[in-house]
Amino acid sequence: MARILHTADWQIGRQYSRFASEDAVALSEARFSVVERIASLANEEHVDLILVAGDVFDAQMVSDRTIRRLFNATQGFSGRWIMLPGNHDAALAESVWSRATRMGAVPENVTLMLEPGVWVDRHLGISVLAAPLTQRQTYQDLTEWFDTAETAPDLLRVGLAHGSVQGLLAEDIDSPNPIAADRAQRANLDYLALGDWHGLKQINERTFYSGTPEPERFKDNGAGQVLLVDIESPGQPPKVQSRHVGQYHWLQWSEVLSVATDVDRLLESIAALPVNAVLNLSLRGQVDLSSQQRLLEALAVAEARHRSVQCDLANLRLEPTEDDIAALKADGYVSEVISDLRQQESEVARDALVILAGLLREKNQEHLA
Amino acid sequence: MKLTSLRVEQFRQFRQPAEVRDLQPGINLFTGPNESGKSTLVRAIRAAFLERFKSSSVDDLQPWGDSAAAPSVELEFEWQGERWHLNKSFLRHKRCDLQVGSRAFNGEEAEEQLSALLGYGFPGRGASRAENWGIPGLLWVEQGSGQELNEAVSYAGDHLQSALGGSLGELASSAGDELINAVERERNKLRTAGTGRPTGDLARANQQAEELQQRQRELQEKSAAYRQQVDRLGSLLRDREQDQARPWEAFRQQAAEAQQRFHEVQGWLDEQRREQESLQQIEQHYELCQQHLQASLRLQGQLILRQQAAEQTGRTVQTKQAEEKPLQEQLDRAREACQLAREQLSVARRQAQRRALLAELAALEQRLSEADQKLEQARDYQQQLLHLREQHQALALDEAQLQRLRQLVSELERVQIMREAVATRLRYELLPGQSFTLGEEVLSGEAERLLLSPVSIEIQGLGRLQISPGGEDLVELDLRQQQLLDDQASVCGLLRVSSLAEAVQRADQGSRLTEDIARLELRLEQVAPEGMGPLSDTLALGAISRSHLLQQIELIPEELLEAGLTLEQAEERQQQAIQALNEADRAVSEHRIEASSCIQKLHSAQDELQRLQEEINAPDRQERERALQAQLVQLQADQQRLMQALAQRQQQIENARPDILAQDIQRLNDSAKALEEAANQRSLEIARLQSSLEALGAQGLDEELAIVGQELAAAHKRQSELTRRAEALELLLNLLKNKRHALTQRLQAPLQRHLNRYLQLLFPQAQLSVNDQLIPTQLLRMVNGVAQYGEVDALSFGAREQMGLISRLAYADLLQEAGKPTLIILDDALVHSDQSRLAQMKRVLFDAAQRHQILLFTCHPENWRDLGVVPRDIESLQVKG
Repeated sequence: MARILHTADWQIGRQYSRFASEDAVALSEARFSVVERIASLANEEHVDLILVAGDVFDAQMVSDRTIRRLFNATQGFSGRWIMLPGNHDAALAESVWSRATRMGAVPENVTLMLEPGVWVDRHLGISVLAAPLTQRQTYQDLTEWFDTAETAPDLLRVGLAHGSVQGLLAEDIDSPNPIAADRAQRANLDYLALGDWHGLKQINERTFYSGTPEPERFKDNGAGQVLLVDIESPGQPPKVQSRHVGQYHWLQWSEVLSVATDVDRLLESIAALPVNAVLNLSLRGQVDLSSQQRLLEALAVAEARHRSVQCDLANLRLEPTEDDIAALKADGYVSEVISDLRQQESEVARDALVILAGLLREKNQEHLA
Repeated sequence: MKLTSLRVEQFRQFRQPAEVRDLQPGINLFTGPNESGKSTLVRAIRAAFLERFKSSSVDDLQPWGDSAAAPSVELEFEWQGERWHLNKSFLRHKRCDLQVGSRAFNGEEAEEQLSALLGYGFPGRGASRAENWGIPGLLWVEQGSGQELNEAVSYAGDHLQSALGGSLGELASSAGDELINAVERERNKLRTAGTGRPTGDLARANQQAEELQQRQRELQEKSAAYRQQVDRLGSLLRDREQDQARPWEAFRQQAAEAQQRFHEVQGWLDEQRREQESLQQIEQHYELCQQHLQASLRLQGQLILRQQAAEQTGRTVQTKQAEEKPLQEQLDRAREACQLAREQLSVARRQAQRRALLAELAALEQRLSEADQKLEQARDYQQQLLHLREQHQALALDEAQLQRLRQLVSELERVQIMREAVATRLRYELLPGQSFTLGEEVLSGEAERLLLSPVSIEIQGLGRLQISPGGEDLVELDLRQQQLLDDQASVCGLLRVSSLAEAVQRADQGSRLTEDIARLELRLEQVAPEGMGPLSDTLALGAISRSHLLQQIELIPEELLEAGLTLEQAEERQQQAIQALNEADRAVSEHRIEASSCIQKLHSAQDELQRLQEEINAPDRQERERALQAQLVQLQADQQRLMQALAQRQQQIENARPDILAQDIQRLNDSAKALEEAANQRSLEIARLQSSLEALGAQGLDEELAIVGQELAAAHKRQSELTRRAEALELLLNLLKNKRHALTQRLQAPLQRHLNRYLQLLFPQAQLSVNDQLIPTQLLRMVNGVAQYGEVDALSFGAREQMGLISRLAYADLLQEAGKPTLIILDDALVHSDQSRLAQMKRVLFDAAQRHQILLFTCHPENWRDLGVVPRDIESLQVKG
């Protein structure tokens, strides 16, 4: 009986260009802290072995500090880690791995599978067949040799690979790093731990993608989890369960606004979000001037409260009502300008109207004061 | 608004109270001389409204020199059915009371009421200044400032706009300009006002994006280079694995084998070289033998040739000797011909000399005969001259004597006349047959006689009559006549003539002779200009020359010459003869030289022939030739043998291909070297790449690239946000400005209408245009049917004053339409207008007075009599008692 923790696609060193720099730093940081959480989860769950199925690093040329921090983060778990180079961190002639080794940053309990081969631990009763990427991309199935690889029959036979399972994922017809869908069966594997697909995905009874433990996209595909794999003995089907380890909730909302109460409802939903939300909001439809004002204010508050709130208002039309206009107390030709701007369709006209409304509101407030 | 009454006290000219009552709604005309108080009244109205009652800078309101005075103004006007009563006093008693209907206002509150009503402001401190005057500044025209409009309009601008705002309903904006300024300020923060170039935050955002993009490109290049190096390293490492087997050793082995084979072939080549050398020696020997044999054959041939040459030369000598005789004969003939030509030339020369002498002689004879003739003629002329001179001598008269004779004769005639005049005149007419005797003379018939001396007349039958003429003059005249006659006789005797007539005739003959003599002398001069002596000399010398010539001719006998042969021809012939002689001579000598050289050749040919014959006939020659023949046969056999051996050797060498063998050695050695070198290079490159990659990898390029990418995205976002904002601001600014402009134009329209209404009275069909500030700028007039544009500022002083007044009246109309009060005050207006313009302007004023109250002050009452109102005399305003 062995308990294996299967994870992949840590993408350490990833930067988030679409976020404000402060948010981006926090999200980048979360990729380290999730490793720490994985380590403590492994302790809690008495895991025998952790398999990392590729793309530990997001790029080859990350800083020395990043390399050291990553390996430090693994030290919460004193058991064996087996790491596999993926397409982002392929074991090239010179790679992030060779640097880490040179630096002496790789702890004793971390094994790097830089060449295809079998790792055996008689004590744990496991042999791991690893198929690392030694080129950035390849069009041959690197796991093919699993079929003929010999291992002791009393040991569990576990495969570790990084790539696209052929014929199952919609976009992978010609994708690089192919892996045969029936590899586990053909190679007589007890379990095949895969990386590359960032969501959690089961391919068959013995083949799984664990997905990335910390989400970094708005795709709602089960990212943010790791897999606990229990195998009784060779040949027995594995018992696979997921654990949530991710820190941030990545949400993508697309809303259509048409009346003022729509805005209210949206604002309520936003207010109900957890603090560690990363929200991408895309609004369409139309709002009046006062609703827009409220919306902008509420978004400003939400931005301060949540990890990140991004809002795309490009398709949201500003439609000031007569009341809005009356509230601006514009007279004479200024009111003519307002009605002109209201009739114009262009984005720049809407911007101009917002600016004008702002100036008028300011002025009215001065007058009141 | 209608001002109804005005009262002032202790106010400049008016120390005593002065009062105006019953002001009329239209024109009110105030007249009075200078210093009578017109301007004081105007000042009072202005002070009542425009000056703060608290102001301490208005001491000009006090009567001159009276600093204790409290100037006060009290006035009353009606506005919208209400009566406004203002009582304001300054300086000593600062006070302001305003009663509006039943409401009362005091102090500053009262002043604010008035300023709001009329549309003006107050200064922060001090006396009111033009910029505070607002609408009154426009409608209340001070003395001498009627033409200045721009400032007044600009100061009234705000009041006008706000006053007119009401009439234009919602169009005017209470905050428009402020808004425009705010938008413009915001726009200018992002884009420059002039060119629209990005500035401020936008420029910085652009700059930042640019810089980040640059940085990103650099990093991407570095990163790509890194990846390329990694790939290179990978392939190098794979190659190095193959190097472990040392593949260059095999090439080295092959090269050594090839080298050995090459040495073997080298041995063959040496053998071949030696055989070729002995073949060469045999061939040389063979050659030598043949040369000896051929030399012997050549001697025979030479002998025949020599014999032929000697015979040929002998024949040539004979021919030459035969040719000499005709050449010699030709030379002799030429010599003779030359002699003959020389002689003929000599004769020709002599005959030519003789002919020349004969011609000279003939010419001499001619000259001599001419000289002889001339001498003869000269002698003849000399003879005639002598004769004529003698005649002339005989006839010669003394000119003085002749003159005297002429005088005497004329004197005589005069005396005779005088005598006849004095004489007694005896006239008689006798009967036929009757006579008488006068003295001795018997007279009859009819005649007259002058009686000069006593005479007796005897008449037959009668007796004697003695008549004695009276007077002594007669006697004197007789004496004078007698003396003259004597003188005459004496002169005639001297001249040897009987009378004057004869003397004159002789004088005429003398002068004719003188002319003949002169003519003859001239002829003689022509014939012998230098006298006859030289002529005779010429003749004598000519005779001598002739005898000399004759002697010379005598010496040259006449000789006969070939007919027609001239001297030149003779000379030519001699030349030709000499030339022919020379040629013949040269031919002979050349021939002689040739002949002797031929003889020389003949001798040497015979000698050579002799020598050859001796050599051929030498005794050991035959034997030597035979030995040579035998040696030749032997040599030919040796040569044959060697050539066969060489051919076999050549075949052997060619089969071994020593050149290719050498190439093989080179190639194999080079390959081995190259492989080893490449392996070494690879090792070096691997080391180099590894250290370079280690260094590069430590830079964390990908991470930095990701960070830069993130910053760039942020910069782009900011850039686009700012650009959008700038564009929105630009749009907003343009819209606001356009709308404001449109509004201004709407405001202008009614003003334009009022302006043109007045203008028509002054200039039919004219138009006055106004600018954004509502100031008239351009005047369009029709002059003789042609439109003429003119800037208002460029008009004459008088015309500008008229335009100014028209504009002010138009503003008043505009204000009235907007429901604002209007009061027009003109202090000494239109003093620069001529009579006709003034007349038109009066129509304008009268028209305006239908709608507005106008206070008109003037010191020229005669100009304003036709305004239809009774003028008020300022001086009569003083309140009596």
